[in-house]
Amino acid sequence: MATERSATTTWRGDLMSGEGTIDAVPSGAFGPLDVSWASRAEEPEGKTSPEELIAAAHSACFAMALSHGLAGGGTPAEELRTSATVTFVPGTGITSIALAVEGRVPGIDEAAFRTAAEAAKEGCPVSTALAAVPEITLDARLAG
Amino acid sequence: MPRITRDAEVTWEGSSAKGRGSITAASSGAFAGLPYSEPSRIAAADATETSPEELLAAAHAACFAMSLAAELTRDRTPPERLDVRATVVVDEVEGQGHRVVASELEVRARVRGSDDAAFADATRRADAGCTFSALVRASATVAIDATLEVS
Repeated sequence: MATERSATTTWRGDLMSGEGTIDAVPSGAFGPLDVSWASRAEEPEGKTSPEELIAAAHSACFAMALSHGLAGGGTPAEELRTSATVTFVPGTGITSIALAVEGRVPGIDEAAFRTAAEAAKEGCPVSTALAAVPEITLDARLAG
Repeated sequence: MPRITRDAEVTWEGSSAKGRGSITAASSGAFAGLPYSEPSRIAAADATETSPEELLAAAHAACFAMSLAAELTRDRTPPERLDVRATVVVDEVEGQGHRVVASELEVRARVRGSDDAAFADATRRADAGCTFSALVRASATVAIDATLEVS
């Protein structure tokens, strides 16, 4: 069965001096959030951007897929700390995404953890939706 | 052109079916500790937690709104107001598991001095220029339903 998730943005004015608002999302989990071109292309100044939201979606999707894979392999995670860094070049688009994870996973070694992380990076729905990004890297390690 | 980076961080605890995560906007601080979990991701839309797909929908709506504002400005008809709704659809694809199969955009625009033909052209260019539309289109459908409102 298909799952749908929606969000709305209201924008007023031109690109450079106008301002937008991502309205409160249907789940109620966040919003309203302000967006502007200056905060997207220069310093964020407390405002989110499409690229930061993509980073949030990707790090969340990756964490969930990895926890699923680890549990399926008989070594469920106690804690995974993931991050995604999206690099955006205006006029070109998103050029790379760097995923990183540090995991606390009893009973697994580094090699098996890296293999599970690689599978999660390839298989999570956000990764496949963003497969056209030129470079997606992964740094996976166990918490020492 | 400058390279711009944006970071987000997630902490996840437990296995996927019973575990829970929390999502933080690390670059801007605009949001922090957003909860999400597997039930909220696959449940009906009355979930009270966010999900990766809801975040993608927010990214697409914001990206497209900026792109359309840029194109209308280029045409010397900057918008008074744009309302953009993005709906990200995930479905199980045989042999491939869960996939984003579509992102559907619904746009209402109040633009003084534009007409239907010029607006349709600006919408087409905005789609081509929105980085997220271009990425999604490589593996899924991007559908746009755009309406110019008379102001």
